Amino acid sequence: MAPVVPRSGDAIFANVERVNAELFTLTYGAIVRQLLTDLEEVDEVNKQLDQMGYNIGIRLIDEFLAKSNVSRCVDFKETAEVIAKVGLKMFLGITATVTNWDVEGTTCSLILEDNPLVDFVELPDTCQGLYYCNILSGVVRGALEMVSMKTEVTWLRDMLRGDDAFELQLKLLKQVPEEYPYKDDE
Amino acid sequence: MINVGKIKQYSNVLERPLSKGKQEVSLSAFAFLFSELVQYNQTQVDNITELERRLEDAGYAVGARILELLCHREKGNRRETRLLGILSFVHSTVWKVLFGKSKVLSLGGVGCMGTSRLRVGSCNVGSLMGKSIELVKILQKRKVSIALGGYLVVEVRSVNDRLMAIKLVVGGLTFNVVNAYAPHAGLDEEVKRHFWEDLDEVADSLEKGTEHEDEYMISEKELLVNRFISIPKDMGAFNCGAFVAGIVRGVLENAGFPAVVTAHFVPVEGQHRPRTTILIKFAEEVLRREATLG
Amino acid sequence: MAAIYSLYVINKSGGLIFCKDYGSAGKMDTNDSLRLASLWHSMHAISQQLSPVNGCAGIELLQADTFDLHCFQSLTGTKFFVVCEPGALHMESLLKYIYELYTDYVLKNPFYEMEMPIRCELFDINLSQAVQKDRVALLGR
Repeated sequence: MAPVVPRSGDAIFANVERVNAELFTLTYGAIVRQLLTDLEEVDEVNKQLDQMGYNIGIRLIDEFLAKSNVSRCVDFKETAEVIAKVGLKMFLGITATVTNWDVEGTTCSLILEDNPLVDFVELPDTCQGLYYCNILSGVVRGALEMVSMKTEVTWLRDMLRGDDAFELQLKLLKQVPEEYPYKDDE
Repeated sequence: MINVGKIKQYSNVLERPLSKGKQEVSLSAFAFLFSELVQYNQTQVDNITELERRLEDAGYAVGARILELLCHREKGNRRETRLLGILSFVHSTVWKVLFGKSKVLSLGGVGCMGTSRLRVGSCNVGSLMGKSIELVKILQKRKVSIALGGYLVVEVRSVNDRLMAIKLVVGGLTFNVVNAYAPHAGLDEEVKRHFWEDLDEVADSLEKGTEHEDEYMISEKELLVNRFISIPKDMGAFNCGAFVAGIVRGVLENAGFPAVVTAHFVPVEGQHRPRTTILIKFAEEVLRREATLG
Repeated sequence: MAAIYSLYVINKSGGLIFCKDYGSAGKMDTNDSLRLASLWHSMHAISQQLSPVNGCAGIELLQADTFDLHCFQSLTGTKFFVVCEPGALHMESLLKYIYELYTDYVLKNPFYEMEMPIRCELFDINLSQAVQKDRVALLGR
């Protein structure tokens, strides 16, 4: 099967059913607000958002594969490009630039060109340590894990915290070999 | 730093221009997020009632904000102050912005408020396919208010092939129209008996409806939030529409119309899936104020 | 008679999470279904190992005298397979469509737990429509 990787998710996004981004933004805001009330500690909220993102990621990857016609990527470079150009577009209608590759080709940054999560948002003094978009890093981590890539995904720059861009760092920790997941107890 | 994103930086959120609300994300992105919202809240509760309440709270937060946003953007900073006005705002403006379509709303009794002239026409349209524009033109010409009145609100209930009940509000009056097609003499006694029984039932139900003058309903075949959700059998009548009920309550309460809003499944005959009805019950003070305003 | 006898979904560790018969032929009891699922899971894995070609994704079609078995495995390891009349057409498209239904009505359902048996009314309803003969024919277009 020759991998035909679409270079852009524009066509897919144009064809899927869409909803007003404000419904999405405000619903996400409601989730963050619930977590802040339930967990009180900002650090705990960061962790929970990442976990919730992960939970979404391990489900969302199948939808991505089913509806994007993307098949196996040849290397991590291609994976990062596909996330930036196809994945983000297909779900959020945005794209990102992939940059800051290290020599080994295992670490890079996605710089978001837009971010529907943060419309209407400003961090109050009490929440300065909050990584408001942490759900997104969790989604990427969860999704990649389901296709055998262990990654670490962190926000390097966050405009809500006064930086000049949204920069998400992807670090490939381990590529689990594509072999049969045999376990003795199963 | 060379690679700077395209998003402009503002020192504070108020300086950022208000978006026009034309941006979209995929329905899937929302569905996954909503699913996770429900899953998270399930871990925080012991029972279904609590889960419903928490989803409603989450929705309330959305409703309170969407009211501010829409009053500012769509209504030139004006907010509805009358009951029918705010209801119309909910089921047309809010529904349209959030769920991409406006919604037919049905009302309990509203009581008589002034007089208005109503012209009712009946026409026999074999099939509506492709003829709706034609039909509207004819109705306009004949000034039939029911099909196009400036403000009208309808509940349509199709009982069977022979019976149909429509509830509408024109100029402050509530009308119940029951359209019946009686069986002709040649038919079985059984058919006739059924018909009369059904008709009795319809008439009874209309009376019941008007007992609750403070209750209003928004009925939806399938709520956007429920599109991909199958409720497990052991959860009974639980409805994730509690979130939407919360949105409605958030809008109403923050506009000065406190109300109890709930979401219910209503089975539809001959359909696998039940409809969802959002039931709005206004606080007494709202109705009293409305009565004083006349 | 429907062209499709039955549909199975196996999770990535070989557990049967969904199984439904659509025809009157080829019905099996629960035990046999479970056995078939784990057997197929293993055979699929063995075929990957046996294949002389590198990067083989496992058996896609098994043809027998009385039935065909078409299998699709997603990159995440979930397998979908249909048992159908010999020579039934458009089965790859059908499996791909079923995969999409799975992402919609199973994975987006907050009450579904990953890797567990699928009990989602909407998935059932949409599947029954999808396997109708005339619907399958449309997939071929």
